[in-house]
Amino acid sequence: MFQKQPMMRKVLYALAPIAAFSVYLYGPRVLVVLALSLGAGILTEYLFEKKKGGKVSEAVLVTGTLFALSMPPAVPLWIVVIGIVFAIFMAKEVYGGFGRNVFNPAIAGRLFVYISFAGVMGTSFYAPGNFGMAAGSLFGAPDALSAATPLALMRTGQSTPIVDLLLGMRPGAIGESSVLLITLAAAYLIITKTAQWRLILSTILGGAAMAVIFWSAGIQKALPLESLLAGSFLFVAVFMSTDPVSAPKKKGAQWAYGALIGTVIVIIRTFSLFPEGTSFAILIGNTFASLLDKLVTDATKRKQTRATVASQGNTGKEAAQ
Amino acid sequence: MSQSKTMSILKDNLWTNNPIFIQILGICSTLAVTNNLRNTAIMTIGVALTTAFSSFTLSAIKELIPRKVRMIVQVLVISFYVIIIDILLRAYLPDVSKQLGPYVGLIITNCIIMGRAEAFAQANKPLLSFWDGLTSGLGYMAVLMAIAVVRELLGFGTLFGLRVLPTAFVPWTIMIMAPSAFFLVAMVMWWAKNMQAAKAKPAQGKAGTPAAKPATPPAQPAKA
Repeated sequence: MFQKQPMMRKVLYALAPIAAFSVYLYGPRVLVVLALSLGAGILTEYLFEKKKGGKVSEAVLVTGTLFALSMPPAVPLWIVVIGIVFAIFMAKEVYGGFGRNVFNPAIAGRLFVYISFAGVMGTSFYAPGNFGMAAGSLFGAPDALSAATPLALMRTGQSTPIVDLLLGMRPGAIGESSVLLITLAAAYLIITKTAQWRLILSTILGGAAMAVIFWSAGIQKALPLESLLAGSFLFVAVFMSTDPVSAPKKKGAQWAYGALIGTVIVIIRTFSLFPEGTSFAILIGNTFASLLDKLVTDATKRKQTRATVASQGNTGKEAAQ
Repeated sequence: MSQSKTMSILKDNLWTNNPIFIQILGICSTLAVTNNLRNTAIMTIGVALTTAFSSFTLSAIKELIPRKVRMIVQVLVISFYVIIIDILLRAYLPDVSKQLGPYVGLIITNCIIMGRAEAFAQANKPLLSFWDGLTSGLGYMAVLMAIAVVRELLGFGTLFGLRVLPTAFVPWTIMIMAPSAFFLVAMVMWWAKNMQAAKAKPAQGKAGTPAAKPATPPAQPAKA
């Protein structure tokens, strides 16, 4: 039933420890969210591909996992289903399925539910630890226990200890917390040539540069180190900006793409109504991905023609004129 | 004006050459007003009446208009009817008028009206043009009302302002915002074109494609 995609499998291997750790952080509820997201995602893609006679791509497993990991831990389950169905249906299959989508489906689905149900999603965070016991029970926290994420705290001028951020012991979306595990996953993906290191690095550099600029301009909300460690910055830089389908393919374009995403994340976090800007940034990046590719291709072509004209000497020059 | 002609115009404007999902005209107002059924109803009635009356008038005076200035005259006639509708709304439905705000005035720029005036009223008799304008408006109305039902139901949990879904229902904020209309219009188009393609397949042998490209100005940029 599945198309074989070894690249997507490697992303899944990289996501497995993160998912396992998030079970420790938020309890078995995480598994339910994951199962629902994967199940509904596969079913949606299957229904579409069946009509076309195609196979379900393994990329849908990655999309489903990424989507589940970017939900807040106490997310109502029906929202998970709506989000992933929207992601696969409207952001992937209507474009023609795997390899043809302009936008990253997981991000499109995430943004759809975050905008639609902003109130519910914003209060669905709870304190991490001890398989969810830190927040009160094994199966998710009651509403009263919703906790403020580091990003929400940053907006009010408070900061979260850096050590907590590094270890992932802070409220946040299910899989975005552990900086350590995400870094390890990034290393694994880069070594196995699954993810393009340029995309990850340029996203981080872009974000850091923008945060430093804002911070030195006297905007207290943009703490450079925290900007990178809090929220889903790293998670998005490693898993979303490197999406082989929606990211540009040319070297120069990849640098620009990452830098664009990084800067937009920090700008949106600092100035917009939403505390988290990573999803918007990725969509904006996706929008420009093919344009960036084209610009780079055109530039290299122009350079090449100029080089050949120059090497041909005077006769060539006259011909070109 | 034979009966078969009126029927074929009706069918064309409602289905095979629907202004929204085949001609892709009037998308601007589709995005702007469809998050509320009552406003949508008023708006689409306004568009239908304007199209009908302006097509009628323009068809009646088409011999008197020099070709070179016909567009200016068309806009003049259309604005005349839109202003009448605006005044009527302000007099009898002040709330709705306030909510619709500039959109009533913007009916003038609705491509459907100009499109019908150019594509149909130029070449047909006044009464037939009236009928064509009215049914075009109805085709527009049918699609917009369908979209508005979904948007108001999911966005507010109400229909025509009456609570339909239980209060525990979590409203979908995105449905109130214009982007959702993009998704929904796209879905309507998809559904309609699929239906038409499925119908055209068995009949392909004997008849040509029914949906010809309309000779209308390009769709207006969505400035609303």
